[in-house]
Amino acid sequence: MEMDNLYLANLREEKQNMWGGLVNYFRKRSMWMLYYCTGCGAIELPPTMTSRYDMERLGMGPMATPRQADLLLITGYLSVKTLKRVIWSYEQMQEPKYVVGFGSCPINGGIYWDAYPVINHLEAFIPVDMSIAGCMPRPQAIIDAFEKLMGEIQEGKAIGYKRYEKHYDWYKKNQDAVLGRTEAVLKPWNDPFASNPSVDELMALEKGESNV
Amino acid sequence: MSDNILARAGKMHGDKIECREKYKAQLEIKTHRDYVLNLLTWLKSERYVHLSFMSCIDWIEENEFELVWHVFSYESKNHILVKTRLNREKPWMHTAINIWPHVQPYEQEIHEMFGVYFPGNPDLSGLFLHNWLDLPPLRKDFIAKDYSLALYTTDALGLTPPFDDIDIVEITAEESRDGE
Amino acid sequence: MNAYALLGIKLIGVSFGSMAVGLLFMGLGRKVTARIQRRMGPPFYQSFIDVIKCFTKTSITHNFVMDLGIIMALGGLIATAFFIPFANFSILGSSSVVIVLYLMSIGYLGMAMGVSASGNPNATIGISRALALMMGYEIPFVMVIMAMLITYNSSDLLTYAVAQSNGIGSWHIWKYPLGFIAVEIAFQAMVGEAPYDHMIAPAEIASGPMVELSGKYLGIGFLLHAVQLYVETGLIVNLFLGGASSWYVMLVKMFAVYFTTLSINAVMARYRIEQGIRHLWIWAGSFGLLQLIYTRIWG
Repeated sequence: MEMDNLYLANLREEKQNMWGGLVNYFRKRSMWMLYYCTGCGAIELPPTMTSRYDMERLGMGPMATPRQADLLLITGYLSVKTLKRVIWSYEQMQEPKYVVGFGSCPINGGIYWDAYPVINHLEAFIPVDMSIAGCMPRPQAIIDAFEKLMGEIQEGKAIGYKRYEKHYDWYKKNQDAVLGRTEAVLKPWNDPFASNPSVDELMALEKGESNV
Repeated sequence: MSDNILARAGKMHGDKIECREKYKAQLEIKTHRDYVLNLLTWLKSERYVHLSFMSCIDWIEENEFELVWHVFSYESKNHILVKTRLNREKPWMHTAINIWPHVQPYEQEIHEMFGVYFPGNPDLSGLFLHNWLDLPPLRKDFIAKDYSLALYTTDALGLTPPFDDIDIVEITAEESRDGE
Repeated sequence: MNAYALLGIKLIGVSFGSMAVGLLFMGLGRKVTARIQRRMGPPFYQSFIDVIKCFTKTSITHNFVMDLGIIMALGGLIATAFFIPFANFSILGSSSVVIVLYLMSIGYLGMAMGVSASGNPNATIGISRALALMMGYEIPFVMVIMAMLITYNSSDLLTYAVAQSNGIGSWHIWKYPLGFIAVEIAFQAMVGEAPYDHMIAPAEIASGPMVELSGKYLGIGFLLHAVQLYVETGLIVNLFLGGASSWYVMLVKMFAVYFTTLSINAVMARYRIEQGIRHLWIWAGSFGLLQLIYTRIWG
């Protein structure tokens, strides 16, 4: 069981490597983020970035593509279609990579918990290193979360990307359950016009029915 | 109605339509399914050149769908709602694509969300939904909550991670540090 | 110690020294931009942290040409740095400004080769913008250089530096004022700061040439920019601001040049690419041409 524990394995690895702690310092002091503006959380990022709260003093900055980024911000609710793109973006990012979920929607669906296109639990599909509660979190909460994440990186706890690699089967199963469905969830729809009838056929059909 | 469209419509179409002035600049015209295209063509020739929107309403208790075309005139600044009712079991409607080409995505969306069929529309493939096999989701007999519970919840996904909880890990790590 | 070993040590020293100076400038530049925007800004050593972090990440290569192109770009720019006199220190004794201009373009061509091989359309758009812009700023720059060649009948940067060594009144900035304006405008485009930041337009073409660079490649990309800053600010200091007698004066002068650029960058928006080239040709080009004519007739 202890061998399966990724955190312990990571700690052991870092102890063996003389540069381990030092490397963590550089990683935590320079987090470049890719913000995936899916929902309302994106509006809280400009005040966090600009002069009032200025996240650049922590070494964080926005990056243009997933290839360059370390940190994926999921800022709000995720529809199924968006989830697919998020997974693509996450898998394009280079290790080490971290995910932060903004607000209650990525945690449990938030106010969209009973909506048909919105997923409820982000951590079932990609590993989430840090979640910020709130609807939406204020910039103070965001900065606080980033500082906590920096602490976890320093301690070697933010190892979501290793978990994703090791338990890929489990994540893939959940992704397929939502994205790659082959049968209806509640009750399949029998399209009465599946054969694409023309107007004349439909008119003839209706006349025939009324005659009967 | 600055352009007296109510009286002219009554004179032109007689008992085929049912007109009502809802507000000062808003007119509602109800008609039969097969007469809608005639009416829309006439309205376009009467300078009602702008189709702003097209929508669908599910009247589940009356077992009918209602289609609404929102037509607007830039000259008289009037807004006309053209309404028709369809049978809910086999809902289909003539496409208005020959009058306004931009009605195509509206009809595509109504087909996806309500299952109303538009013969003559060249593309009725899915527009918004991903891999959808259930009832069209905006029908009233589709229960979104049940769908969400059956697909996205912890029970449905079997959300018991095969890995340790991070709190447990923390304690173990402390113990292992002490042990060394 | 034999001469070759000494030369080797000097070359390695200049390579790493130019990177360090460039990264320091980038960090200070971010601080300056932050203060202009009324922010705290990152610490001045932030660029070093960024580059080291980039080298600890995993990275993706698309093919051999991409590796080769990036390394070629870095090599070309470092080779240029060898020819820039830093205060009194010059490795090769004489350094022709023509060779500097020639080698500088190798950096861009290597970058173009490397990032085009990555196959991302945004990278290709970015690099084609960079090469188009190069056409815009090199012509004014070369016209000003030609004016100096006419005066001194020599292309040696050290000659220019010695000629300007009699105090502030002998600087070329007074002798070639129009040329200095032309070169300042061209320099804005050379380092890719606004209004000529077409190449790296993050909101438009997803950071252009850098779009597919990840991990170590991105780190090399940062080093490229650092060496480029060293080379270009060093070149301008030697051409116009009288060179320097000691290393700290040199650094201060180099940073002053970069500071001007940053201040313009902080308050300008981006031109469209054809506006950018037209602007460079009309303004920088006409100032350069006037300087050339003036020097040829009355100089």
